[in-house]
Amino acid sequence: MNFNSRAVSIIWRAGVLAVTLAVAAFTPALAQAPPAVPAASPAPASAAPAATPAPDAPPATAAPGAEAPPAEFRTLDQEVQGLKKDVIDLNKDLFVLEEELLFPANTQVAVFLSMDVGTFFALDSVTIKIDNKEVANYLYTAREADALLKGGVHRIYLGNQKVGKHELVAFFTGKGPVDRDYRRGATLTFEKGVGAKYLELKITDRVARHQPEFMVKDWE
Amino acid sequence: MTSILVLAAVLGLTAVAAEPSLLGKEAPDFALKGRDGKNLRLSEFRGEVVLVNFWARWAGDSREEMPALDRINTTYERAGLVVLGVSVGEDSRRADEFASSMGVSYPILFDVGSNTARDFLLQKMPMTILVDRAGVIRYANVGFKRGDERAYLDHIRELLRE
Repeated sequence: MNFNSRAVSIIWRAGVLAVTLAVAAFTPALAQAPPAVPAASPAPASAAPAATPAPDAPPATAAPGAEAPPAEFRTLDQEVQGLKKDVIDLNKDLFVLEEELLFPANTQVAVFLSMDVGTFFALDSVTIKIDNKEVANYLYTAREADALLKGGVHRIYLGNQKVGKHELVAFFTGKGPVDRDYRRGATLTFEKGVGAKYLELKITDRVARHQPEFMVKDWE
Repeated sequence: MTSILVLAAVLGLTAVAAEPSLLGKEAPDFALKGRDGKNLRLSEFRGEVVLVNFWARWAGDSREEMPALDRINTTYERAGLVVLGVSVGEDSRRADEFASSMGVSYPILFDVGSNTARDFLLQKMPMTILVDRAGVIRYANVGFKRGDERAYLDHIRELLRE
């Protein structure tokens, strides 16, 4: 599905959802949820027997004991759950659409950061420059660094770059071996084509040299 | 003459009303380096009530406010309050020395480039804001005078109860 038709589809679904919500809000069945009249109200002696339903009362399916919720409530709950799901789906589609709009695939460049083992390097921050212009600077908290060590991947940059050759320089700061302040850089020259470009900054341990290693990988 | 005065008053009121405020809005997220070298991120305290105090060594009110905030932190830390002091636009070594001299026990963060202060529309120092458990700014106080800490306590208790 192309971009325009997706946008139209999302707007259409949003409209339908809004109408459904409006209808649900004004439905008399929702506005006046009927109490279990026969069972709950203490009937006066002169009144009709408790078992006799009122002429316009709903069928008292779950009235005795009121253990299970009435069928109307169950349906209502299902409807609400359905609407919630629709809202979540719509929100997801809007997010994707926004990303496509702001970062169209033909100019999109995304940079991810991953970390392996981390015995020789405790990550503090990463700065990214593309064509000598700083595009991202991220300070990692202990929790975020832990998440990376557990296999997490962080999208540190998402932006637009023209088609052609670009140079990416990443600076990593943190604590190196023997708790020393450590700052290293890694460079990659990449060719931006017509499609989206994905690059990965990878921090690994070089056991033989007892040093961390910093790489930039181009995902073709 | 009267009309000029009225116009000036109206303009003054308009200026006050138009003053940008983040009250009721989600607090801008930040990650800053602390005195112990560790980075702290505001969004990682979601679920807790956070008091953020922007201060500077040269702001006289900060000297009065910081001990009061330290007392609040000591009392309400266990109830789920997080107090963060943010030094604005100053060399981290000097700010660290100042914080040590004030003897505060809560985390002090360094906003050396004043970027976080800008995000919070800081216009006057000190400024204290309260962020609720959902990350929304619920209270802001610019400057500090004796007795303000009582207002802080009222709001903190209210937010902790939510």
